[in-house]
Amino acid sequence: MLREFVEKKHYLFAEGARDWEEAILMSCQSLEADGTVESNYAHDIVDCVRKYGPYIVIMPNVALPHSQEGAVGVNKTAIGFMKLNKPVSFDPDDPEKDAQLFFTLASCNPDQHLNNMMRLSEMLMNEELVEELLEAEGPEDLLKIQEKYLDE
Amino acid sequence: MLNILVCCANGAGTSLMMKMTTEKVIKSLDIKVGKLHHCSLSEGKSAATQFDVVFCPLNFVSMFKDAEAKGTTVIGLKNVMSQAEMEEKLKASGIPLE
Repeated sequence: MLREFVEKKHYLFAEGARDWEEAILMSCQSLEADGTVESNYAHDIVDCVRKYGPYIVIMPNVALPHSQEGAVGVNKTAIGFMKLNKPVSFDPDDPEKDAQLFFTLASCNPDQHLNNMMRLSEMLMNEELVEELLEAEGPEDLLKIQEKYLDE
Repeated sequence: MLNILVCCANGAGTSLMMKMTTEKVIKSLDIKVGKLHHCSLSEGKSAATQFDVVFCPLNFVSMFKDAEAKGTTVIGLKNVMSQAEMEEKLKASGIPLE
């Protein structure tokens, strides 16, 4: 999965974001660049989080920006990766809702999406791997982590 | 036999991740499960009473007050990827896992 991010250029490494809204817009950029999603998708996600709260931060440091299955403006099924050096806050009252790693979900094919989610879940359940992702500085680090933990 | 519902805002991202955590917990605690279903909040709110347990992110627990009043156990999770948290809260809920 990490190799896919690199091969498809679905990644962004950045210093930080002004706020969570900007972070979500940034997290969609690599998916917008090759037409995987249209620019409305990022705004739909922001609206979703405004409506439902920061539930997309599924564990400390990790956010999964997404709206719904079959969302408008999603042309392909993929995941976009973003890492911020400085965590961005989603809830001023809860530091556990800060996020540095973003996996932005785009789905128009449920089977492919489920396969992506299974691989993502395996990855995020590996604490050491997540620690190393938090230290990653560029695509070459993603490949190193892929080789170390995910390649058979 | 336990019927479990995992529920999140849209039913496409967070709830799927929760479902995978649930599958690990089921295996590790050797729980006999009937249904394991994932869905969005809008579907979940009406479907919840048909399940024994509902897992959702902590901030959505209040949405399931009606189901809770009718006997469904509603468990809010802080970290939906944490097998430990889910196991602990499931055991603490007192629901029979056999």
